[in-house]
Amino acid sequence: MDNSSYRRAKNFRKLKRQLWLSFLLLPPALILIMFIFLPMASALLYSVYDWNGLIRGDFVGLENFKKVLLDPERNWFFFNALKNNVLVFISLMVIQNGTALVIALFLAREPKGARFYQVVFFIPVILSTVIIGFQWKMFLNPVFGLINKILNAVGLNDWALPWLGLPETALPTMILVNAWAWVGFPAIVFLAAIHRIPRDLIEAARLDGGSEWQIAKDIIWPLMAPAVTIIVVLTFIGSFNWFELPYIMAGLEGSPAYSTDMLGLLFYRTAFGSISAGGTEFGIGSALAVIIFLVIFVFSIIATKILVAREVELN
Amino acid sequence: MAQINMLGVSKRFGDLEVISDTTLEIKDGEFTVFVGPSGCGKSTLLRLLAGLDDLTSGEINLNKQRIDHLAPAKRGLAMVFQSYALYPHMTVYQNMSYALKVAKEQKTIIDEKVKKTAEILQLSEYLDRKPKELSGGQRQRVAIGRAIVREPKVFLFDEPLSNLDAKLRVQMRIELTKLHKKLKTTMIYVTHDQVEAMTMADKIVVINNGRVEQVGAPLELYRRPANQFVAGFIGSPAMNFFSGVIKDVTATGVHFDINNSGTSIFVKCPGADVSIGEKIQFGIRPEHFVFTKKTDQIVSGEVYAVERLGGETYIYMSSETEDNVIVHCNGDREVKIGEKIDVGFSIKDCHLFNSKGWAIR
Repeated sequence: MDNSSYRRAKNFRKLKRQLWLSFLLLPPALILIMFIFLPMASALLYSVYDWNGLIRGDFVGLENFKKVLLDPERNWFFFNALKNNVLVFISLMVIQNGTALVIALFLAREPKGARFYQVVFFIPVILSTVIIGFQWKMFLNPVFGLINKILNAVGLNDWALPWLGLPETALPTMILVNAWAWVGFPAIVFLAAIHRIPRDLIEAARLDGGSEWQIAKDIIWPLMAPAVTIIVVLTFIGSFNWFELPYIMAGLEGSPAYSTDMLGLLFYRTAFGSISAGGTEFGIGSALAVIIFLVIFVFSIIATKILVAREVELN
Repeated sequence: MAQINMLGVSKRFGDLEVISDTTLEIKDGEFTVFVGPSGCGKSTLLRLLAGLDDLTSGEINLNKQRIDHLAPAKRGLAMVFQSYALYPHMTVYQNMSYALKVAKEQKTIIDEKVKKTAEILQLSEYLDRKPKELSGGQRQRVAIGRAIVREPKVFLFDEPLSNLDAKLRVQMRIELTKLHKKLKTTMIYVTHDQVEAMTMADKIVVINNGRVEQVGAPLELYRRPANQFVAGFIGSPAMNFFSGVIKDVTATGVHFDINNSGTSIFVKCPGADVSIGEKIQFGIRPEHFVFTKKTDQIVSGEVYAVERLGGETYIYMSSETEDNVIVHCNGDREVKIGEKIDVGFSIKDCHLFNSKGWAIR
């Protein structure tokens, strides 16, 4: 084969490979464009227009953003919901992910029935949020709910409260329900990360005289950093997109007294209307959506940068 | 002072017995090598000593004190892993000082010990580096340093050189031997490489299928292997074996025929416990063949491969009775593939093994 025909054959092979790769990439790219990038771009576009119901009005620049952040009649709702989302994130980090870490450390020791426990902890993760929300709403019912019945039965009558009816207890209760439902997911991720750590390292630390606590703190925790990065970022995204569970358990208004209001609920009420918010305010709702996106985006980038910096290669 | 005694040690994983009824004594200051093929149980035996696995039965004593019930860190042993097991997120200094830090040793003492050890191992300039910034040999030295700073009674090495290239392996072998001479501490070393075992050990423990086949000094195992497994395992290339049948047993030795060759050989072994008609294996090491007809016996064969290394030559041939016969000779010997050659050997270099594989002496 001479040089030119060799080059032609090589170029043809290259072209064939590129066509094949394009064919494989096209469907996911189309889905991403249609369902992620286009809605994002349109939300951005909607947020700078005035809207009369579903009819687009004049270009108003950043007016809708000002209303969300600076209008004294509105911004309380935004900052209240933001505070609640932050509270949800911090609480889930401590309660849900902290418990998940303990579970993972326990399961990593491969106790008898480890497989069974893994399944038990993971089952709620695969349940629909709607089922979980309604089930726990019934358990927490102040009159016939299982929780209060148990509390009364063991003599803790003073503790038998209308858990979802008090502003002080409604959000913490829902956070605990969320932690119950989702604890299996970070536990499995942490467990996989622990299993990835070479056994020799743990054994070397054991020979070095490390106690279980010292090994967990000095060896396992730093070496499972990639899993921690993923879980921190996913928990933040989940906390700031929290919608279904508060919607099912406390309604669209963030009852009682907006104590369970979230940015997602506020966006829905504003954009699509509700009893309290009145009619649809598409422009302001879109501005709110853009702000939520920016908060999540900026935090995820910063958190990822910081957390990735402490990751180490295992080999 | 650190003498180890293992008494009737066995280890089972479910139905699988990986170490069976092992009794072994390792003297103070001895460099003992556990050698055997992959999966023979040598690393398991080391892990039992270290306390990383529990015994199924038996006991382990260190200086006559039972230690098998103690936690790994309480046994006074330090282990160097095959993978080095360096903590990747810690610097060399932190790796070497971790055990002392955990033991709540004073900072000045930690500093002194780490720096002194780093000096011995020529690691002083790397103390601030992370393991991934080091070469294989340097990582190996850090792993050894981490063991040294603990000042253990016994060092355990689990195939520590197997991840290094051939040149570095030879260098580290010498370094470890020098270190043993310097520290005079009891060392137990696991390897599947019999060259490492032969060159480093004061005493070799040959293990096969979870059983100790023979214990002895390197040349003792080479010269007087207790059975066919040890004979085949110790020595490189491996010993050649020929099948034979006992024809006569006298007060001074045995006569046997090499299968299908019509060659009859007499070997001196007064009082040998064999019977006429018993099938035996007759072994001769590749380096004991000579290219002269002035020998006790001759083996003829056709050469099918030759490895000429300049300083030595390995000839692979098929004889009338065995397809694979290896001949080793010093210097360069020009032999062609397909050539028919005769090699001789002395009867005194022969090894005989009975039908159960035990040496006939």
